[in-house]
This record gives sequence, C-alpha cells and structure tokens, in this order.
Amino acid sequence: MKRTVDVNIPLGPIHPCFKEPVRLKCEAKGERIIGAELELGYMKKGIERIMKGRPWQEVMFLAERVCGICSVIHNMVFIEAMEQISGIAVPPRAAYLRVIVNELDRIQSHLLANFSYCYTIEHETLGMYLLDLREQVMDELERLTGARVTCAYMIPGGVRCDISRQDAENLLSAVDRIEQDLRRYVGMFSDGPMIALRSRGIGILTKEAAQRAHAVGPTARASGITFDCRLNHPTYRQLGFVPVARVDCDNYARIMIRFDEVAQSISLIRKCLQDLPKGVIRGGGVCKEGETRYSGEAPRGELTYFIRSDEYGRIVDIQIQTPSIMNIEACCHEMIIGVDSVADVTSTFISADPCVACTER
Amino acid sequence: MGQSLIWYMKEFARLEWIKKFLFARTAPLVTPSYFRGFPEPTGKTCQHALFCMMACPAPGAIEVVHVGNGWMPRIHKGHCIRCGLCVEACPHGVLKSGRILETMEREGTSLLFSFRISIDPDLCMGCGNCPTACPVNKQVDAQLGAGGHSSNEEVIMRVLDGDVQVLHEEKCTGCKTCETSCPTRAIQIARILEGTQQPLQGSGP
Repeated sequence: MKRTVDVNIPLGPIHPCFKEPVRLKCEAKGERIIGAELELGYMKKGIERIMKGRPWQEVMFLAERVCGICSVIHNMVFIEAMEQISGIAVPPRAAYLRVIVNELDRIQSHLLANFSYCYTIEHETLGMYLLDLREQVMDELERLTGARVTCAYMIPGGVRCDISRQDAENLLSAVDRIEQDLRRYVGMFSDGPMIALRSRGIGILTKEAAQRAHAVGPTARASGITFDCRLNHPTYRQLGFVPVARVDCDNYARIMIRFDEVAQSISLIRKCLQDLPKGVIRGGGVCKEGETRYSGEAPRGELTYFIRSDEYGRIVDIQIQTPSIMNIEACCHEMIIGVDSVADVTSTFISADPCVACTER
Repeated sequence: MGQSLIWYMKEFARLEWIKKFLFARTAPLVTPSYFRGFPEPTGKTCQHALFCMMACPAPGAIEVVHVGNGWMPRIHKGHCIRCGLCVEACPHGVLKSGRILETMEREGTSLLFSFRISIDPDLCMGCGNCPTACPVNKQVDAQLGAGGHSSNEEVIMRVLDGDVQVLHEEKCTGCKTCETSCPTRAIQIARILEGTQQPLQGSGP
C-alpha cells in the first residue's frame, strides 16, 4: 500500500537524549509519526565469542560486562545456569544474599531509567534527585560487594562474602532513607501537571500489542501483563513475591511501574534481612558437562542464557537473549506509531528503557 | 528597593556567609575501606604457588616474578580489573584488596584449584613443544629431547607415535607454559575452581 510520507526524520545515532547509539528512522505525516524503523549495530562487542572456551571464573566477569546498568543479574543468571548444569545446591543464606544484591541492582537500574525519562522530558530537577538517590543505592552495593557496578558477587555454590551485622544495620537504615526520599519524588512525578501533559496518554502500548510484540519486563507489566520471571525463582517464591502491574499502558504507567517496583524491591530487601537464615555461604561444587537454558528477571525483563559446557566446566557454546530487543521492537512498531510530535518520540523511546549495550552484546 | 538593597548588604556581611564563600570545599575524595581496589602485598613471603596467575580472568594482569632471592606477584594495573580473585586464590595470604582477605579469614572461605589437561587430537601435530617446555617435565626427566620423546614413565606428558600422551595429570601445577608454547592451541589447561567454606563456629549476624 502506498503511503503519503511528508518527511523522514532520522533520530540518532548521536542524540542528546539517547544514552547509547541507536538510529530511529521515523516517517512523519505532518508532525504525526506513522511509522518507524530501527537501525542497530553501532556497538557490537562480540562478547559471546570471547566467552567460548573459558571457565566460569572468567566468563562470570565477561557476563557482567555485557551490560553496565544491570550487571548483577547477568552474573546471577549465568551462575545459576552453571549450577543447574552441574547440580550444585546453594546454601539458603547465600540464596537470600543473592536476592538482596539483585534487588539493590534493580533499584539502581530503575532509578537510572526514570532519571533518563525525566531528563528527556526536560524535568532535570527530578532527574538529578533520582540520580542522587541512585548514588546512595550504589554506595550500599559497594559496601556489600566491594565494587559499585561490576560486583562479581555470586560464584557457583554460593556468594563471595557474607554480610556482617554492621553492614546489615547500615543497609536497613539506608533502605529506610531511600524509601522516604522516594516517596517524595514519586509524589513529584505523579502530581506534576507538566509531567502529566508529557506522559499521560502518550505512547500507548495496549495489552494485545504488547503480546504481539513480545514485550517483557516493566514495559509489559505497564500494559497489564502480570508476568515476571521471579515467580519461577525458588528464593523469590519463599519470599512470597507477587508482581505489580498497571493498566494505563502509556509512558506515565511505564515510569510509575518502575517506581512501584523500587518500592517492592525495598520491601523484599527488608524481608530478606529479617529472615536471613544462619549458616554457610558457600556449598562448594565443581562445574560439569551439560547444556541448559535458564531465565531470570533482569530490570528490563526476561534474560535468558543458553549454555553448553564441556567436561571440565568450560563454556563450549553460549547464547544470551536480552530483554531490551523485544522492548525496543515493541517501542518502534507499536508505541510510537501515532505519536503527535517528534519530541514525544524520544520520550516514548526512553520510557521503554532501551539498553543497546545488552541488545548488541 | 532601598529595603531590599539593605537586606542584601546585610546578608553578604554575615560572617558565616563570608566564611562559606571564602573557604568552601567540596567533599574530600576518600576511598572507603570496603572498596575492592588493586591487590597489594601484605608482606608475607610468596611460595610460588602461581594460583593468583591461574585464577586471574584478565589476560596478563598478574605475573609472579623473581625479586631478590624470592618470588613476588607483580600487578599490571592497566590490565587488572580489580576482581579480587587472586586474593581469594592465594593459599598463603600474600595479597590483600579491600576487605576480601579479612572476611575470608573470618568466614573460612577459600577457593580450591585443580588442573586438568585437555588435548584436541584434531589440532595436535605432535611437535613436542609442550613436553619440552613443561617445567615439571624438565625436573623429572632432564634428558627429555627436543622432540618430546622420553622413556621416563614419570613425566606429565610425552610424544608417542606422533601424538602427545598425558601420563600424570595430577602433577600439573597449571603454569600454562605448554598452552603458550603450543603453535596450534591444541593443548589447553582446564583450571577448575571451586568455592568452599569450612564450617564455622559462630556464623554471621
């Protein structure tokens, strides 16, 4: 079918609102966007090829470096996949500590995503507040693991270091402080009339469209799909995890669902610290030969590792499926169709929380 | 107008304001004690176990060199990714980084190493570089020829009928000399690492 396209507007690969290089080619009729096409491939690292032939202690660090924002979950999914292959059991204390670190990582990732949305809609004050809050979460991560971003906290059969009593108290008080600040910032976001003008009713992704585009993570949950890979995780089941969802389907819902998940993560961390079992943090166990497919819930959605290892526990074949590719596709083919101006294209794109480093690996 | 001018003058004449204006400082940059920095020597003598080098995930970040009449690990900071695995792998506590060493001692955690030799028969051309280069082989059989042939049954590996044959895998110290000397990357040392913990008396908070 022939379409009348007034102008083609390319956005990126270098754009002040995009944190990572990606090119969006928008077709506009007047100022309304009628179609968009995505161009990826500006930052391919080939990290899966580098991982081949290496033992877990080397791949673990490479897996973290797939994505700089959600590094802990890459480590966790890789290590749990290796444990599934080799039949290694994790001591309960280590499993709870993993959840604590993973949820801290989720908080900082969501806060960063919301910062970049606020920055895109030019509400830099709130953006900077959120970045400041994120810095406190990073400090707690550093206190627990020794590093801010590339924590390398989990190893097959446990974690690398225990949490001391002093650290647990510090973490509890920090979490209280973060929750208090967060309440204020969520209030600023949900009550701001200008924010509502830029966010409400823009970038609609209906439930059917989200299913069609295979959207995952907060993007899907903002469209009313209550699916979360943490439901399948034994430790989260013990903690009684229930996913949150919203039905507004617009940019506002996608940002608010991240705020909701931050609050949920905080309560999960509290619960973990409260019933932290006593005992060892490492059970031992050697990686063996096998093949598996394992999924975990990254801050952006379902993250899957497909791994085949040889008899010495070295990686023979590895494939990583990251959540962002589905969300970026959903954004290009469903969300930004019919958006009223180019200014809303960037904010809608950022609201899906695209992570190009993950996508291209 | 006049009133606000006076207010401004008063505000700027405040002693605290002047103090703040003249002596304002940004927060000092302090590295927290728990930060996992570059590994540093603790002063204990290195026993040349080479485990730090074997555990290191970054290529060429750490090597054990001859210093005086002993050995010492040397960190190449441009390559080091500050993962702290060398600190955990060292059985003698030669290195420290952040809180890793003290928490290890408190919790009784350690990393166990074992080495296995794997040879790809499709790639191996029997050149004999690996048996000749191997430092353990040299100690066992000083007569080991350039072709890698040996009549000694105690060597780790030797060339027999044009193929490398592994006899004593358990003697391997994992130094990777054979790996680096192999022209076809046929021989690979599998470095199997296992995280363990001794049962504790009084654990955790």
